[in-house]
Amino acid sequence: MPNSPLLQLQGVSRTLAGRLIVDNVNFELDRGSVLGLLGVNGAGKSTTLRMIAGLLTPSRGRILIDGHDNRESAPAGGAMLGYLPEQTPLYAELCVSEQLEFCARVHGLRGNAVNVAVARVLEQCGLGDVRRRLLGNLSKGFQQRAGIAAAIVHDPALLVLDEPVSGLDPLQAANIRTLLRELGRDRALILSTHLLIDVEACCDRVVILHAGRLRHDGALGVPADAALHVRLDAGVDAAKWTTLSCVQSAELRDTAWRVRLAAGATAAQLAEAVVRNGWGLRELRAEAADLEQVFLRIASAEGAPALHAAEGAPEERSAA
Amino acid sequence: MSLLLARLEWRRLFVRPLAWVMLAAVLGVLAYFFLLSLDACLRLMPKLAGMADAPGVTDLIALPLTRALASLLLLVTPLLGMRALAGDAQSGTLTQLLTSGLGERRIVLGKYLALLGFVAVLVALALSMPLSLSVGTALDLGRLAAAALGLLLFGAALAAIAVAASTYTEQPAVAAIVALALNLLLWMADAGARFEGVSSTFINYLALPSHLEPFLHGLVSSVDIVYFLLLIGVSLTLATRRLAARKVRA
Repeated sequence: MPNSPLLQLQGVSRTLAGRLIVDNVNFELDRGSVLGLLGVNGAGKSTTLRMIAGLLTPSRGRILIDGHDNRESAPAGGAMLGYLPEQTPLYAELCVSEQLEFCARVHGLRGNAVNVAVARVLEQCGLGDVRRRLLGNLSKGFQQRAGIAAAIVHDPALLVLDEPVSGLDPLQAANIRTLLRELGRDRALILSTHLLIDVEACCDRVVILHAGRLRHDGALGVPADAALHVRLDAGVDAAKWTTLSCVQSAELRDTAWRVRLAAGATAAQLAEAVVRNGWGLRELRAEAADLEQVFLRIASAEGAPALHAAEGAPEERSAA
Repeated sequence: MSLLLARLEWRRLFVRPLAWVMLAAVLGVLAYFFLLSLDACLRLMPKLAGMADAPGVTDLIALPLTRALASLLLLVTPLLGMRALAGDAQSGTLTQLLTSGLGERRIVLGKYLALLGFVAVLVALALSMPLSLSVGTALDLGRLAAAALGLLLFGAALAAIAVAASTYTEQPAVAAIVALALNLLLWMADAGARFEGVSSTFINYLALPSHLEPFLHGLVSSVDIVYFLLLIGVSLTLATRRLAARKVRA
């Protein structure tokens, strides 16, 4: 199946100890895209990822990796897949390069290919300086990097990372996010998180799970018709905005204006018009897709997840 | 692939102090036991010289030593094998093995081979003590070889039980206790029957000593070899199935 997406989840459900943890989840993912799996704690993110990694079998539905059911093709699935669970799977008594060599060999790499692969990921994940250090003695940030390195040493097409940024300090987290963006360029990458900032920093698509159900699946990024966020020095009222030909509407939110452009107008024209009128342009940026609003609306039903499942809230889908 | 994992396990075993301490303790106890038997043997020598069918050095020194080693193996293998898979499950490294495409069978086999290697080293080092006597006296080498084979099979079966117990829990200590209980159960399975004078029944077949003793007396029979191989086969199959069942149960 040459044209099938790399990863397909088809009606996947999973029951654990009599509780429905994941309920009829469908999505697809292809190379070169980074999918953020967003949800509050207990939304079913980790269970979904464990099923994709082949550690759990779905109670219903199936998961296809490169067109093959991942229950039937475990060895092949292993070569296609890199998985980093929430608890970094490293042997504390090995040093970084030993661990990576083992991971490379266990995926079938031999001879010089092992050294090449290990050198590549050491460099990619910035582990060169600590290659001889014992994993047990590394800081959490470096352990996380080593975990990612171990997951990508065999160059998998599909990379599944469960909360890769959790528990790191802001600097380490920023470094990991940069690394993830790089990794997502030529792979399919799924990353679960409960932090919006992770998704906004790394992903180009977001899937929101709540109470085991897929509640939102949409592209991230700035839509072409997005409103502009404008902050001015001068006090201007709404009526003045509409005198500008490039503005369709404007409303004041706190101290900044939310401006919608008229059809065909550009942000450059708006900037020029504002400057020409001497309003003192201090800030002008496109408003990001309102992911936070979507997430909060879905997640605020927390406390009554069972009710949610029962009412069968429709899945939201925004244009890619 | 199993060998790759076995090598890694072997290395991990020896960078932790547990294996070294265990090796030192077992060999220390056995060395003391060996010296005591040697001393007793030397004291008895004048009396033995007068007897027509006197027991030799192999009977007086090697046989008690192999029995002592067997008893120690009962206690030591559960401790050495407890971390085999329970440790990985606890630290999360099991997920790495399970997603690597190795397959459950090879994971279990790899872990088992590492433990088996350790048991083999232990048996070899322990038997080197009576073997050292060959410098000064004539030993029944055939009998020692049979004892070595018997101890190796015995240790291999105990190692398989330890690995199997280790797949049923995420707590290494629980795995050790379960394996120890199973070992002792199999060790004493026929104690009651023997007390009543019953022999050569199924319960006697189940017990470990009834298959180990013939080896220690120099008797290698296929029934005993098959018994140990069966024990190993059943344990490792159960371990593999249990590991595979994690996907469904978890």
